[in-house]
Amino acid sequence: MIQRHQRIVFWCLIACIVGMGILLAVERQRGRDRIQALGDATPLDAPTAMTEAVTMDLANDTDGAITANSRQIALPREANSRARALIDHLIAEYALPGSPHPLPSGSAVAEVFLLPLPAMGHAVDTSAAANSSGGFKATVPVASADPNALQPKEPGGELAVIDLRSTFVNQHPSGVEVESLTLLSILGTLHANLPQIEQVRFLVDGQARETLAGHADLLRTYPVRDTVSNPNGGQLNP
Amino acid sequence: MAACVLVLATLTGLGQTAPRKSLQPAAVSNPHKASQQTPAVLSSAPAPIQINRIVILLDPAHGGLDTGSRISDATVEKDVTLSLAFKLRSLLSARGFAVVMTRDADSPTEPSAAGSPLTLDDRAGIANHAHAAACLLLHATGSGNGVHLYHSDLAAAPGELPVEPWLTAQAAWVPQSQRLEAQLAAALTRAGIALVTSSASVRPVDSLTCPALVFELAPHGDDPDSINDANYQQRIAQSIADALVFWRNQVQAPIQLSSTVSLPTTTTGQVKRPETQP
Repeated sequence: MIQRHQRIVFWCLIACIVGMGILLAVERQRGRDRIQALGDATPLDAPTAMTEAVTMDLANDTDGAITANSRQIALPREANSRARALIDHLIAEYALPGSPHPLPSGSAVAEVFLLPLPAMGHAVDTSAAANSSGGFKATVPVASADPNALQPKEPGGELAVIDLRSTFVNQHPSGVEVESLTLLSILGTLHANLPQIEQVRFLVDGQARETLAGHADLLRTYPVRDTVSNPNGGQLNP
Repeated sequence: MAACVLVLATLTGLGQTAPRKSLQPAAVSNPHKASQQTPAVLSSAPAPIQINRIVILLDPAHGGLDTGSRISDATVEKDVTLSLAFKLRSLLSARGFAVVMTRDADSPTEPSAAGSPLTLDDRAGIANHAHAAACLLLHATGSGNGVHLYHSDLAAAPGELPVEPWLTAQAAWVPQSQRLEAQLAAALTRAGIALVTSSASVRPVDSLTCPALVFELAPHGDDPDSINDANYQQRIAQSIADALVFWRNQVQAPIQLSSTVSLPTTTTGQVKRPETQP
């Protein structure tokens, strides 16, 4: 004769087994989703050239320094894809074990858009009457009074709009130093390899975001410059 | 039954993720508009810039729902910054300073609107109204060692305009901020604190009209929890307080630019300042 309390314990244990089974299944699926999100396999353009020497400005969290390092990698020829591949290679370098500036692995950049400078906006043409169908008004360039306003002041100068993935940004370590070093590293690497890029703006999943991980400003436009610093952390080229 | 309770607790506990930082949306639209509406030619009379040499502004970053960075399992940034701010306040008060803090509790106590927390622009507003001799934005991190000091990433401007664009108000004060950074760096080096100095763009430092630094405290060893070491924090606070005693006699306001100076504007309408290397 099995006593009542033994039966209760038995069914409790059965419930535990079933519960643990469900938990395992849920966590397994969650882990698979996480790995799939990180391993974004959106293809870049296939490299059409042999490997070439590129300069990567690599950061070090210990002394806050950024040093230029040469790497041999294959890059696409098209400038947008080239910029994206450079940043992805840079982040991949930081994701390696033992990195002095550890960052999450996976694709960091969704897309890079290169726009000729100066970047011009459009505004509603207040002088135009609304059309009869939907009440929409025409837009005109902001500097329409200047016929040359839309032409780049310095031929070749470009604004790079870097659209970061939220999977990368949400896992980025938080802190003034670590976030600033990531941005400076990207700016320096672009400056060293794509000199036509003069300014950089950052988006996250296509949207403006206030900070990278709570500190470094992502709303401003960054001038691209040489960010290599001395080992003591003081920048030689501020 | 206990096993059931254990399983239920496990199920509910493991289903949660680590709390992530929740940033409150800052009031950035108005400052942008303000900067876009700044006239290139200014005609108002310049007001003299005043500095309260005995006032120090401390801004313990984050607070409330915004925990800042997670330094270890038991330590979040907002607690470390507040702890360091309290130590600094007592040391500075003992040296005759009047200390203005943007928050002295977990949550900011003076919301800009009922029920809303302080935004970054609110903090800048408090700092600018104090006309402090130094504004220290206190942060903390689990990466690196010692102290990280940053001044604004803006290019230094030759002087202050009668009306400053909100997002670049610090430009005229960058030279003073760099001198303050050098003074604090020297004091911390004398105290044997590992130091990194650089420039960074961390809001709201670019909107401050005072010598302003972002001060980031890091652990002094491999253990992230060493950032909570009271002796370590006290040693750093002591060095800063001593350096600020000398600083209050050296701080100078930037010169006022002529009210009729016409400066070129960028395509977004912001006043484009001359690029000067610090």
